[in-house]
Amino acid sequence: MVIELLTKRYPGMRAWLMQRLTALIMAVYSIMLFVRICVLQPDTYAAFLEFFQPTWFRIASWLFWISLSIHAWLGIRDVFKDYVPNMQVRSGLLKILVVLLWVYIAWASWLFLM
Amino acid sequence: MPENEIQSSRKAKAKNRPKNLNLLTIRLPINALVSILHRATGCALFLVLPIMLLLLQLSLSSAAHFEAVVSILNSAFSKLIMLGFAWAFFHHFFAGVRHLAMDVHWMTTLMKARYTSKIVLVLGVLATLVLAVKLW
Repeated sequence: MVIELLTKRYPGMRAWLMQRLTALIMAVYSIMLFVRICVLQPDTYAAFLEFFQPTWFRIASWLFWISLSIHAWLGIRDVFKDYVPNMQVRSGLLKILVVLLWVYIAWASWLFLM
Repeated sequence: MPENEIQSSRKAKAKNRPKNLNLLTIRLPINALVSILHRATGCALFLVLPIMLLLLQLSLSSAAHFEAVVSILNSAFSKLIMLGFAWAFFHHFFAGVRHLAMDVHWMTTLMKARYTSKIVLVLGVLATLVLAVKLW
């Protein structure tokens, strides 16, 4: 029963679950980032580069950004669904949203993984 | 009654329903306040994403740029704006944790939900105040 709720027939359940999963990932990352900043206190350029150097941190940051993109997509989409009744305007706004999120993902990937 | 008549009478009824969309007279219960702030802060955080990426890119690109970003962020004006967005983040974070808790059926009665709403509002402001003390 629970598994069936996660199939394609119930896209709302998938969206709901994704919003929560991505929220959890971002919450864990945020706490990690907070602790890391408090411990390392990168206040010079050299320290900041070192702060940003470890591969695990870059991958974690990238995963955070992917989660953020999915979370923002679902959240802003809900906002448009609630406040933009005109379907043409809404689908236009959703397209802009998708483009923006992909541009941000490309940008963040370049920063985190290159 | 034929189908189309039922529909048109429904439409007429929907038109005659009383509406109150005057934001100044709507008194939000505390749970609704936390909820709408969760949405508003989410939108605000989305809007600030490109600025975050830009600042990150600049601060990583060279020592001179890093110093420039630091000096920009050190102005009183920037600090105020940062505090605003920090509050947005903290509120969204704590209200989100409250959502997750409710999803696993913690604190779901009305009294408990009101109580956790207050906690969320207080924690958001408190965390922002701590950050403000740290920044100055």
